[in-house]
This record gives sequence, structure tokens and C-alpha cells, in this order.
Amino acid sequence: MSTGAKKRIMKEYGECMADTPPGMKINFDEQNMTEWEVLMDGPDGSSYAGGHFKLKITFPNEYPFKPPVVSFKTKIYHPNVSNDDKGSMCLGLLRPDEWKPPNKVVAVLRLIHNLLVEPNPDDSIEPSIANEYKENRKEFDKNAKDWVKRYAK
Amino acid sequence: MASDDELAQLEKLSNEWEPEPQGPLVGERKSSSAITVEYANADPIYRIKTAALPQKYAFFRTCRGDGHCGWRAVAFGYYEALLRGGDANKLEEEVVRLRSMNNLLNSIGFQEDLYEDFADEVYELLRRLAASLRAMDGTTAALLLEAFNDMGRSMAIITYLKLLASAWLQNHEARFADFIIGYPSLKAYCQHNIEAAQCEMDHLAMQALAECVVKAGGLALEVLYLDRSEGTEISPYREVPENVANPPTIRILYRPGHYDILYKAEDFAPPAQQQPIPTQPPLQVALAGYTEEFVPMASHLSDVMTLIPGMYPPALGQRWPSLSYDYNSSPAPVPTYAPAPTPAAPVTSSHQDFASPVHASYAHHGAHSHHGIHLEPPVTLPIHPPPPMSLDRGPPLTLERTAPVERGGPFRPSVYELEPGFGGCGQPHAMPFQTSIFRNSHYNTAHFLNPDFQPEEWSPDTEYATGNRGRHKSTSQ
Repeated sequence: MSTGAKKRIMKEYGECMADTPPGMKINFDEQNMTEWEVLMDGPDGSSYAGGHFKLKITFPNEYPFKPPVVSFKTKIYHPNVSNDDKGSMCLGLLRPDEWKPPNKVVAVLRLIHNLLVEPNPDDSIEPSIANEYKENRKEFDKNAKDWVKRYAK
Repeated sequence: MASDDELAQLEKLSNEWEPEPQGPLVGERKSSSAITVEYANADPIYRIKTAALPQKYAFFRTCRGDGHCGWRAVAFGYYEALLRGGDANKLEEEVVRLRSMNNLLNSIGFQEDLYEDFADEVYELLRRLAASLRAMDGTTAALLLEAFNDMGRSMAIITYLKLLASAWLQNHEARFADFIIGYPSLKAYCQHNIEAAQCEMDHLAMQALAECVVKAGGLALEVLYLDRSEGTEISPYREVPENVANPPTIRILYRPGHYDILYKAEDFAPPAQQQPIPTQPPLQVALAGYTEEFVPMASHLSDVMTLIPGMYPPALGQRWPSLSYDYNSSPAPVPTYAPAPTPAAPVTSSHQDFASPVHASYAHHGAHSHHGIHLEPPVTLPIHPPPPMSLDRGPPLTLERTAPVERGGPFRPSVYELEPGFGGCGQPHAMPFQTSIFRNSHYNTAHFLNPDFQPEEWSPDTEYATGNRGRHKSTSQ
């Protein structure tokens, strides 16, 4: 990884510390600064309230010219998070063809926060969950809360 | 049997698959006949168009086809065209000019702390190239190529250009807005097609760069479209700055989906006064100095030496008045006889570099009366192209060499020349240039770093023509 990329990550970390989105905590390891561990509380009022989610943000070697990779380490019932052991998330500014080098990690964290408040079923990675979210919101809420209880306590 | 979902997934993957791009980010300069060869089996339109290419555009340079090639080609071309101008101050002016464009970036809402890293790479490279140009250390081109092949630095420079292009378009919304189809606004278009990390350069971006980076920097941009349109020649598209005569030109070859860099042969033989380092000063001497090749060089020297009183035999006195003491340092004397086979280098102070070692060793080697003569740096040496005698090599020359006392040169014979073993071959001329400093310098064409590298050739004929010659060679080295 180039020194430029490291400098950039350090700078971004500083910014995240100064302006952390609500309910988030970042564990930063200086030895391995390309992997951030983010602890996040389910936003109040959403189906995920009360849950504690662990996420990993991985910065590729080409960062900031390629987007960081976000994955949920805690299982979550969400149309935009893949329902497998990867828990990957790939939408909006995280897409390689939409990522812009001047984007900030803070923006990524906000995006995640907003998605938990309001999932985006039109850009989903799990079509069946997205369908449920659109057509049977009650069932979706129940499942989501169920998963929070099971995995995210 | 896989389910429909899985099949759809696989199909999606296979559609999205792209081969890993190969090759360096920016390649070495190559002869553009390689392009002709590449299209030899393509359809006739391409074949005809590429067949005409190498005559007009002698060289090209590949850019890796990773989706950034257009940006990279323009960025590399920009630096290279600035270097071709040969003016280190110009590069530093560009730093100032680009810095002033921060206002443009800020006005569009880019935050300075986010683009400054990218901008710094751009300035840094300009400054380093300027320093290298000033030092004349010959590493400028290598420095540029190295920087562009470093993924991080090259991407930072590209990103900066993308932001500039986007800001430029948005600042001239009235002119460009009508070209946007399928996006709610010019801003949305720029975010998707210009600022995004993975996006190829499109026409609008090219136009924006041509205006805000290339033309404003006093350079010209030429894009050649190699496509299946009508015609037998590749259609060029030119953007030329106003008020700049003969601007250095960035030439880009566009093939649908890919950009490379093109060069005309004359890009590398610009007007002599613009040349940072003379490519081949006439005083350069091949190592194989004992061959006939050397004779013209000796005649340059003789011209130099005629400047010094008492250095010429009476028979040549009539030449004296034409070579006056008070040489004006700026214009090189117009050659009145044979045209130069090598481009005549300008008479500039840089020539002292080549001339002074010659002088020093000559004084050492020649008659002792030369010792007191100094050519101080302000004195410039007229460099004449070789006389036509180089055309008729052969017996007459050999005759001269075997009887050095009678040769027609402007030198008064030295006592050493009369000694046995001195004459009879070209050695005395070659020896002054065989200093270890010169032999190991990249000004020597036999040195691998010389841009006109020409390996020393061993020719058995000359080696064994006379035993005397061969023996002399071995003793002189």
C-alpha cells in the first residue's frame, strides 16, 4: 500500500473520530489500518433497534481509487446485505463504478446508518427479502426483529 | 441442475467478466508500424487507415486498457508536451496556474482537504521534472515514465484531472448542458461519468481537459480517431491554443474503447534552441575512433583551433579572416559548404561541456606551446558541419594519414608527429576523446544511455589492415 493511501486513511480516521455518526464506534488498529472494525447500534425506531452489529470496512490497496469493502460480521435480515457468511454490502457509492476518490468514509458510515433506518429494496442484493419488504412489511419487520434477537444481542 | 436464480447469477458473472488488463500503465515509445502490423488482418478500412499511419506518426506509446487509458494518455501527454517545450520555468508556472484552479474546484463544492492529496501529486511531479530539466541529468523522461507506472501516483494525477474536468463542465453549464442525455442534470452526469473512479473518458471530458488543462497551458491537443468511418486517413480532431506559435502537441490515438499516445517524428527533433540537451553534439566521437568515420570530427577541431593565433600553417592563411575573434555568441555561423549530416547543434554555452575536455586533452597531447591557451566559458566555439571530404573516403585519406606532415589540415605539425609510430593512423585524433570520463559518459554514442546509442562495432578489416594500427590501438587503451 502506498504512503499516499496510508496518509489518506489516517486523515479519514481523524475525521471519523471527530464526527462519528450516532451509535457507531470505530476500532482502529494502527498495525493494520486497512481494516476497520465498526460497532454499530441498530438505529432507534428501525426494525433493528436494540441490536448491536459488528461491521468490517476493508480498504483495498488501491484506495482511494477503489471503494472500501463493507461487510456485516453480524448476521442481519436486510435486503441490501447478503445473507451469507460474507454479509457483503454493495450499493450506491460503494459500487466500483460509482465510487469517487474524493468520497469519505464518513459518508460510507452514514450510508450504512441510513440503510438500516430505511432499506433500499430497489437496489437489493437479496431479492426475496426486498420483495417481502415491499409487499409484506409486517412479515419483514417480524423477521428482522427475530434475527436481531437471535444474532445481534 | 442449477436453478434459474443460479443460472442468472452465472450469466451475470460471465457478462461482467473482463480479462485482467495487461502491460505497463504507460509503455515505452515504439515504432507505430506495430499498429499497422496489428491491423494487417483486420477489415479493409482499418488496414488502409493504419497503413498510412506510420508515415505521419512515427511513434506511439501504449496505455494499459484498464478503463483509465484516456485519462492517463492525456495526463502523460500533458507532462511530456511540457517537457518537450524544454523550459523548466514553464513547468513551475503550470504549478501556479493549476493551483489557481482550486477556486474552480471549490466553486463546484469539492472540498480542498479531499482533493489536495491528488493535486499535490500533480504539482510534485511538475516540480521534480522541472528540477531534472534544470540539472540536465538526462533522467527526465525516465522520471516521468516511472511516476506514471506507479499506480498510486498515476491514479492521483488522473483523479485530479477528472475533478478539474468535472468542475470545468459544471462551470460552463450553458455550453455543455445540451449534450447531456439521460441524466437529470449536468452535475449528475459528471458524478457518474467523470468523477467516478471507474469510468472511461468520454468526449465531453476530453473537451473539458483540452480547454482547461491543455490549451490553457499553451499546448495543443490532437485526437486521431481510428474507426470505421469513411476515408483513407485517420480523422484528426485538433484543439489549438490561441496566441501560441507552434505549441507542443499532445497526440492521442483513439480506437473505439481505447486510447494510446502518438508522436510525429518531428516531435523529437524540435527546433534546436528548444532542445534541453543536444541529442548529438558534433564533437561526440565514436569509440571506434581509428576508422575513417573519425576524419570529419577532426576537421571540427581544426576549425576551433584556427581561432587561436599561431595555430594554422601559412598555407591556410586565407581562411583566417573569415573566422574572426569577435564571435557573436548567439547565432551559429552559417555553413557555406557541405550540409550537415547530423543536425547541427546550437552554439550555446552548454557546448563548453563537450568542447572543454577536448581542448584540455588536445593541449596535453599536442605541442607544448598550447598549454597556455584557455577557452574561458563565455567564449563560444563555432561548430562547423564536416566538409564534404567525408564523402570520398578511401585512398586519399589513407595517403594523408601515412604522411601526416603533408596533410592539408590547419595545424602546424608538431615534433611528436615526426616520431616513428605516431603517424600512419588516426590514433592521435582518437586518443584525446578516449579519456575514461568521456567513454563512460552518456554523451558518448557508444554509451547505452545515449539517446542515439550506437554500439561500437568491431570491423576486422580495419583492425588488420596494417599491423601498425592494431598494435597502436592496444597500446592506447
